[in-house]
Amino acid sequence: MHLLLVGISHKTAPIDLRERVDFQARGVELALRTLAARKAGGHAGELALLSTCNRAELYMACDDPASAKSELTSFVSTFHDVDAAVIEPHLYDITDLEAARHLFRVAAGLDSLVVGEPQILGQVKEAHSAARQAETAGPLLNRLFHACFAVGKRVRTETNLGSGAVSIGYAAVNLAKKIFGGLEGRNVVVLGAGEMGKLTAQHMKSQGVRQVTIVSRTMAHAARTAEAIGGATAARWEDMDAALSASDIVITATGAATPILTKAHIESVMRPRRGAPLFIIDIAVPRDVEAAAGELEQVFLYNIDDLQASVRENLARRANEVARAEAIVDDELAKFAMWLRARGVIPTVVALRQSFESIRRAEVDRLEFKLSGLPAEIRDDARARVDEITHLLVEKLLLTPTEQLKSLSDPETAAMYAEAITRVFGLDEAEQKTDSRVEPFRVRPRPSGRQR
Amino acid sequence: MNIIPLVLYFCAFVGYSLHFARRTPVSARLATTMLAAATLAHTFIIGMRTMQVGQVPVFDPTSAISMFVWLLAVAYLYTEVTTDERAMGVFILPLILALQAIPAFKAMPEVRSSVLQGPLFGIHVSSLLFAYASFALAFVIGITYVLLFKEIKTKHLGVFYARLPSLQVLDQMNQRAIVVGWVFLTIGLVAGFVFALEAHVPAMSIEDPKIFVALVSWVVYSFELFAARRIGWAGRKAAYLSAVGFAIVLLNFTAISYFLTSSHKF
Repeated sequence: MHLLLVGISHKTAPIDLRERVDFQARGVELALRTLAARKAGGHAGELALLSTCNRAELYMACDDPASAKSELTSFVSTFHDVDAAVIEPHLYDITDLEAARHLFRVAAGLDSLVVGEPQILGQVKEAHSAARQAETAGPLLNRLFHACFAVGKRVRTETNLGSGAVSIGYAAVNLAKKIFGGLEGRNVVVLGAGEMGKLTAQHMKSQGVRQVTIVSRTMAHAARTAEAIGGATAARWEDMDAALSASDIVITATGAATPILTKAHIESVMRPRRGAPLFIIDIAVPRDVEAAAGELEQVFLYNIDDLQASVRENLARRANEVARAEAIVDDELAKFAMWLRARGVIPTVVALRQSFESIRRAEVDRLEFKLSGLPAEIRDDARARVDEITHLLVEKLLLTPTEQLKSLSDPETAAMYAEAITRVFGLDEAEQKTDSRVEPFRVRPRPSGRQR
Repeated sequence: MNIIPLVLYFCAFVGYSLHFARRTPVSARLATTMLAAATLAHTFIIGMRTMQVGQVPVFDPTSAISMFVWLLAVAYLYTEVTTDERAMGVFILPLILALQAIPAFKAMPEVRSSVLQGPLFGIHVSSLLFAYASFALAFVIGITYVLLFKEIKTKHLGVFYARLPSLQVLDQMNQRAIVVGWVFLTIGLVAGFVFALEAHVPAMSIEDPKIFVALVSWVVYSFELFAARRIGWAGRKAAYLSAVGFAIVLLNFTAISYFLTSSHKF
């Protein structure tokens, strides 16, 4: 059985195409059920679909990757009603261990648009649970996804791939946390009722600040923005100083051509604060706050360039962690490969065991006839002993071959060995009789000729 | 005997440096374990000396320093366990090492003055030692505050930004350590005054440099507490003041004890 991945991502397709093949809108589960109903390319019934705003990837356990691939392509095309010729150039298909490596890298955040972003692991987990809900996840995909969760977790705890803010909003929140400890109970004032200020304020609000106050030259704008944020209050331009004195974080985002807050102005606002720190985030261009204001004791002034610089630094730091994360991917991939190989020879191992067990059982049964002449208590004891000894014998005989088979590293060699063992022990013929042979309550001896 | 804790403290210092560089859970556990082991060994040695002389060994400057180092280590371990912040260890251990070097290489006297005993003398010395240990902690926290403050202020977010707790937390820790230190300093000074009166110790006056400097440090810390609450001298100014205060304390505790004072060695 093969593992096949067919997908599209931010690396291969532009945003408009990704939007057209977005599975989230119509539901991942529905897509999985639809696809499962098509009984594509002799697939083994194992399917999973990872759909985020940056990628749509179908993972499939199948016997014939080539036909399964065309089947998946036509499914994506019909499901989304997009011409297959449009999608095809943007699709990538990867098989077996490389497909597993791809998912591991995705879960680690190595394949993300922003390397190391934390949401992807949750999205991968959702993809797995959707596959389980749709009953399309089998042993192979379950194992694959659990292995990739392990990769994601290890990368998160053992490397700094996800550390440091890589967006302006997060950088501002991180700085605020480093100054104030937590953001709970802090007051935020936003100067300007524009989009940028609103977004940053929303970000702060989601971090649990106590109060957000919007100050705008036009009270109506302030009120509207405050309402849009939800739970924020609006204040008049004339009341700005009072609001500033009572605040901990000030976000300035007005369209003014000259600075609104001068150093002297902030100095006067700082006086009643008795040394409480003030964090000013100036995201306006041109700037709203005089740069010299940053010289004031207990005033921390950051403008958009400063925040961007910190974002760039963090991105560079993440890039340095990539090699360590890739090493973890390699490590976990080796473990997964080992499991996969062991899995390939398992049917042979099972058949071999069943064959040996049937021989043992038959011989023990034959002995029953000879034992029948003995007194009852001795007979039971003797039967138990014989049973135990033969069982141990079979186990010991099978131990080394089983281990050897499971440790074969190359799948082709493993297949050769499995084939050889099947022939040498006649497992093919024995297989058909498996069911009757392992039946536990057999008492009658069997004709010896059926064993090989 | 005091060389054993010195060596162990050095190992702990290596552990904390390693943790500062690597920041892994393993290095964190290693550092704390090392320091705990060093403190335990130190406890044992102080305990042995207590048995030997029949009283907590604080009646000569050298054993007082050993006691001070022990208190500092315990106080630091306590803060570390309660806050789970380990980045300060790399700053506190050099101080511990420098001070522990004195008892490690200097012999302690076996005889002691008959005057210097009784519960009041015990309260006097142990309160002051505890106050000094608190001030040492405040001083180190103050240093880390200033380092982090500079990084944020100058927008060069780096080593300390990634490792230290927030400015707010550092400021609180600094203030708390100073409050505790100030309370014990006051108790220690009052106890010393009463003890001097009762025991009729000669030449115990403000002219004694040790008493004078102790009073100066009391004034500095009192001002810091007042300034932080009334005139907004929190944060960086408070951190600088705690550095000044501790410099005075250290001067009093080492240099003056050994070289300047004749009447008030102990």
